[in-house]
Amino acid sequence: MKTLIKIKPKTYTAGEIVKVDFMAMHPMETGMRKNKDTGALIPAEYIDEVKFMFNDQLITKMVIWESLSVNPLMSISFKVPGAGTLKVIAKDNKGQSVETTKAITPKG
Amino acid sequence: MERRSFLKGFGAAAACAVALPTIASAAEEKKSAGPNEMNFETAVAAITGGKALMPSAKVKIKAPEIAENGAVVPVKVTVESPMTSKDYVKAIHLLASKNGNVRCANIYLTPANGEAFFGTRIKLGGTQDVVAIAEMSDGTFLSAKQNVKVTIGGCG
Amino acid sequence: MRQRSISAALICLALLGSANGEEKLSMSDADRKMYAELLESNPAEMDVAEGEQLFGELIGTTEYAKMLGVKEKELPKYIAGFPRYIEPAKKVVTLAQSVQMAAAYAGKPVPKLESKEMVKMSAYVKSLANGQKTNIDVEANAHMKEMMTLGQQVFEERRGGRGLSCNNCHSKEIVGRRLRMQQLPDLGAKETAAAGTWPAYRMTKSQMVTLDKRMQQCMKNALMAEIPLGSREIVALEVYVTNKTKGNPINIPSVKR
Repeated sequence: MKTLIKIKPKTYTAGEIVKVDFMAMHPMETGMRKNKDTGALIPAEYIDEVKFMFNDQLITKMVIWESLSVNPLMSISFKVPGAGTLKVIAKDNKGQSVETTKAITPKG
Repeated sequence: MERRSFLKGFGAAAACAVALPTIASAAEEKKSAGPNEMNFETAVAAITGGKALMPSAKVKIKAPEIAENGAVVPVKVTVESPMTSKDYVKAIHLLASKNGNVRCANIYLTPANGEAFFGTRIKLGGTQDVVAIAEMSDGTFLSAKQNVKVTIGGCG
Repeated sequence: MRQRSISAALICLALLGSANGEEKLSMSDADRKMYAELLESNPAEMDVAEGEQLFGELIGTTEYAKMLGVKEKELPKYIAGFPRYIEPAKKVVTLAQSVQMAAAYAGKPVPKLESKEMVKMSAYVKSLANGQKTNIDVEANAHMKEMMTLGQQVFEERRGGRGLSCNNCHSKEIVGRRLRMQQLPDLGAKETAAAGTWPAYRMTKSQMVTLDKRMQQCMKNALMAEIPLGSREIVALEVYVTNKTKGNPINIPSVKR
């Protein structure tokens, strides 16, 4: 599962509220779609849990369902307390899990 | 995403809606495979625990009025709140009223967020309401909705 | 009057979202703006990042510039001029084909045009020209002139079961009319910036797609035989379509419906 964390805006100061965009390459199968050739249902496969941590402290926990688009985006606000590491742990219903980190480096 | 088969899938899901167990928390009930159908009333009840839902201007939902492609519909939810440890938004729940599984995401926030916001992209099986429920730290549930028309675009 | 009958067959409605409370039939400017915001968090960015890695491993910008015979720092402007005639190929090539050439020069396996790796790499290479303006020069030499003429021919030729040509939906006269519920774009307009914004993430396919692949998808939907990738005709078509957007900025990857 390829992932990407983006902080918007790119430069920010401590105390500023920024947007954290987390994206993942994931099929987000609903389990309701049929294989065109065989007619068999394609099993559900979707990200079901995402945790945003800052310096190992939980900021936001998400329970995600299959209605999110393919290659989903999850965006939250975050009040930058200072420098540190933002970590996003995403898990799908098949047990696949991926950890993505991004350094938080406020200016000034 | 093949649009037609996607729509068909939702139709089929609606046709074979299953009886749902009573659920204390929507978050706890998860199946590892297969469709998770859940209708709107059941999902709302699971979130609020039967408490009343109060439509509120504090919850702002931003989604296109018309989406040319139901597979990718941008949605942003913002809830007015000071986000202090005494007064904050505990969770934002996003639902699509007519999808096979109406639940899209349950976002559990903390004061560290600084602002109650959630942005995403969702799949809509057809024209329907996108509903946001804000679970406040005082135990109340505020909500807002927006209708999104899903149309058919031009060449594939 | 075949052209006219086809035009009439398209759902042609009056102005959208009018002030007199008429029901809206297609996306408003605010809706479009929301979709435009998708650019800020485009899933295809992950593909472009992977393309950078793949390209770096296979060729690298230094070798690529050497093959093209340009200085490395001039690459962005040069890339903004594809499709163009390149000496090593002795013909007009697309950006993806130039990547193939570079791989061959470096003695590396040549990636197929339709491969996922190639889509990612060509998107990365084109993204080097972000901020530049599309500067294709169809008058540059006889080869380009010839391809421009051929491209126009391909664009206007009616083919397939319904006798459609690209021009049926993309001529100047028909811009703004509707195909189903969607307004037809002007390929040359700044807002469309067609050639400058491919490869793009296609929401209907949930993946990044190149311009030539998009043209194939269009042909398929119009019941035409698909012109093969890399063929003279599809390169010519890309020359013709790119020339319509000359001067428009390059912004890779973008988001398309």
